[in-house]
Amino acid sequence: MASADVEDVPQKDVSYPRKLIYCGECTMPLEFCEFHPNYEKCKKWLEKNLPDQFDALMRLSEDDPTAGGEGEKKKQKRGGRGMIKTRKKTGPQKVTIARMQRNKRKYVTVVRGLSTFDIDLKVASKHFANRFATGSSVTGDDEIVIQGDVTYDIIDVVQDKWAEIEDEMIEDLGDQKR
Amino acid sequence: MFKKFDEKEHVSGMTPLKSSVQKAMKNKIIQMYPNIEPYITQIMPKKEGLKVVKCHDHIELFAVGNELIFFRQRESPYYPCLRLLHKYPMILPKQRVDRGAIRFILSGANIMCPGLTSPGATLIPAEQDSVVAIMAEGKEHALAIGVMKMSSTDIQTINKGIGVENVHYLNDGLWHVKL
Repeated sequence: MASADVEDVPQKDVSYPRKLIYCGECTMPLEFCEFHPNYEKCKKWLEKNLPDQFDALMRLSEDDPTAGGEGEKKKQKRGGRGMIKTRKKTGPQKVTIARMQRNKRKYVTVVRGLSTFDIDLKVASKHFANRFATGSSVTGDDEIVIQGDVTYDIIDVVQDKWAEIEDEMIEDLGDQKR
Repeated sequence: MFKKFDEKEHVSGMTPLKSSVQKAMKNKIIQMYPNIEPYITQIMPKKEGLKVVKCHDHIELFAVGNELIFFRQRESPYYPCLRLLHKYPMILPKQRVDRGAIRFILSGANIMCPGLTSPGATLIPAEQDSVVAIMAEGKEHALAIGVMKMSSTDIQTINKGIGVENVHYLNDGLWHVKL
């Protein structure tokens, strides 16, 4: 692979912008997957999503002794230096619904935990606002406040919109004080 | 710079950039990276406005649409983001490190001189304080963006200590920023 050295001048046979694929597991370009602590996971991802690329990469590591095989042997054992820390990923947890009293007879509904499902809170809040014809806003890291008491319907609406949220993942906390 | 960067904590706001400032920025970028000129309209289309994302520590990120393209700290030069560099690799001159250095760089280490002078590496002439892309032995794509802390001749002769400062690398805080 000599292409790394000289590309200061745009090459004629390549069109720009160059397209490259990033690994779905470690987000790096595929060739750097082997330096990620979860290389095995990367491999699985690649095998599943891009079988062609996977084969090519495997063949490459067999042909080329400096890539892969020998690297394992040379791995530095001492200390923990040079290891990439993996970022913690918190999986889907729980969506909670609470009602808060605002002003004697007025309530707001607070929905928490949607972002653990990789839901864009802004979009969600807009959806709630449309659906209930009321004000809705993102008020914190993982919190949406819907004006008015919509607890009667909110669970159904959430599940209609995002089918991946199952019954046991959603909890109604009832009345809460602020 | 972005080792401990977290999108949620460090970003303080996003605003569109004035068109006059945009123009000045574009000129400066072309001046700094002449190789980019044929593609500048692809990277920064006139129609779509640039947005500046202000972060703590005087870091500013520049974005077109949902893609970050450049960043800088205080009055530093504009650095291209890695994703942009992957698309247009000719923007920056390329230093290449040996294989052993890759994992350290990927965890954010600065590039030490021996990593640039060993047999697997290639050192191209570059001035002190110039911006370079860090490539790796046997790899096709850049893995970091750095600033030369010594000139290339110094790196050759001294061969000790930090040669290139690591500014932005794969999987760092900036890499994970989503707009």
